[in-house]
Amino acid sequence: MAKPKLGRWQLAVQGCLSVRGDALFILLAVLFIFSFFLHEITRCSVVAADFEGFDADDLEYEDEANDAFHSQPLKKPPPPSTTFTQSSTPESHHSPPPQSSSDVPATASGEPAEKPYASSTLDFWDDDEFEGIPVQIEEPRPKSPPPSEPADVAGAGDGSTVQTTNRRWRHSSYAVEIVCISFLIVFAINFFIGKRQNELIALCWASQFATKDSIFDKNFSLLGTGDGKEDAPLLLKEGQDVFKFYASGRRYCQSLLATMELRSRHDLIARVMDLLLTKRDTITFEVAMNEDAMDHVVLAVARKKTARSMHKEAKDLQRFAAVMATPPHGRRWVAEDLMVVTESKEVAGDLITDVVIDQVFGEKAFDMFGKGFISLHFTDQHPGSRKKLLLLKFALPDANNMADMTRLVTLVPYYIDVIGRYKLSAQARTKTEAARVKAAQEAFKEMQSTRQEALQKRKSEKKKSSEEAAEGKQSAEAMRKKQEKERSRQMKKLTPKVKMLRSH
Amino acid sequence: MRETRETSSSTADPRQPPAVKPYAPPRILADELPFDYAGFLAVIFGITGLMFRYKICSWLAIIFVAKSLANMKNMENDLRQTFSAVS
Repeated sequence: MAKPKLGRWQLAVQGCLSVRGDALFILLAVLFIFSFFLHEITRCSVVAADFEGFDADDLEYEDEANDAFHSQPLKKPPPPSTTFTQSSTPESHHSPPPQSSSDVPATASGEPAEKPYASSTLDFWDDDEFEGIPVQIEEPRPKSPPPSEPADVAGAGDGSTVQTTNRRWRHSSYAVEIVCISFLIVFAINFFIGKRQNELIALCWASQFATKDSIFDKNFSLLGTGDGKEDAPLLLKEGQDVFKFYASGRRYCQSLLATMELRSRHDLIARVMDLLLTKRDTITFEVAMNEDAMDHVVLAVARKKTARSMHKEAKDLQRFAAVMATPPHGRRWVAEDLMVVTESKEVAGDLITDVVIDQVFGEKAFDMFGKGFISLHFTDQHPGSRKKLLLLKFALPDANNMADMTRLVTLVPYYIDVIGRYKLSAQARTKTEAARVKAAQEAFKEMQSTRQEALQKRKSEKKKSSEEAAEGKQSAEAMRKKQEKERSRQMKKLTPKVKMLRSH
Repeated sequence: MRETRETSSSTADPRQPPAVKPYAPPRILADELPFDYAGFLAVIFGITGLMFRYKICSWLAIIFVAKSLANMKNMENDLRQTFSAVS
């Protein structure tokens, strides 16, 4: 028993990973990371520079002020400069000039000579220019002793609070990085887990319905996209959540393509979004019928909401079909939840046979087996390259419960045979024929109009190009004419002399 | 008549080996590929993060790049096509 393999996709993935595109994105990611670190480093250096720069400036001012004051004896010992060294309250440092001015009146009676020095310090201290400095300058002073004594954490005052804020600042600055890197790690883990889950579902389906002695093996001679040999892979993996199964070689139809669209379990963000929006694993069977095998059939069956949206979106249903409100007389019909959209009621009645109603679409059967049924759409006027298609869409059950959809999957070969053999009655044919002839005429007109437009465009383009060429030619011709005129003039100048001489 | 014909053909093997058509993957032009929202958002976030120096924008860009790579589809095993889709 050949195990279904996913061969092609493995090669594709390997080839993909070895390509430049991946390297380009890794390079982009590295650039982004590099920009962060640059950003962090510049921020740190700018903040440090603030402290260092003003630290040096402060020292200079302090020395000058000290010299200025020590040169003259003072009654009140503390000059404004020394107040910087003391770790007193910051408020006192906000206004060094007022302090010196308060010093000045106190000592004005004794030493009038102090005044010029107070004013000179005032000159040094421009309040507007150096606002806020005293607060900042104070901080590195208490900062320097604590780093030298790291064990002394219980240092009272501003020093310890400043240090802890620095530590906290460092830790908090990396919170974003930590969160994002952990998200990326979880994303990578989820990618591999989700990928395996999706593959498991696809393989379970294939082992149930596509391996030896299964329903598709009994109906089609070629299974899978490979060469048809024993080892050929059955499933084609197009993405981490899209798998395709191909089969061919049956009467009435050219091929069958089953597309499994699973939930994006490999993508963490999509998985989170799926919690909000319900999305089901679906499988869509697309059967391309032979040209001579399908008569005029436009029919769709689905739950009411889905049927209405299909009726609006699908062009062929919009154009040819109408909702079948009343079931045909004297017959069991589909469950209440379902709605039938059809071109001809007779055709719908003929195609939705008693067998199908008993098995899948009837009231009882639908309650039991119909949960997986999404929609059914048979058409011979499909917009696109292939005109005659049967589209059946079902929901995939869990990997363990694949056998639940057996009845739904048997609908596929059953309907291939039913529609392959079906011939419309004369009445139905005349009705459908009229609509189709109209549609064909309109399509032909549209084609003609587009062809004419294309021809006109080509003509206008040709004209333009020829005009440009003519202009170019004209300019060249004008040049030539001018040159010829010049030459003829020159010749004329030369020749008359000779003539005159001869005549004489 | 019709029923016997139906039953006879239903019991007969429906397979027709001479009617086999090999798989032809549908040709999709690079312009018609489904729009890669994740890649687009990654570029937008990356540019915002670089221009305005917002850390979180650049990290979101990296996350969306990862999402875009995870959702890459190998339609025809065409390396050039996947490269253009990713970029």
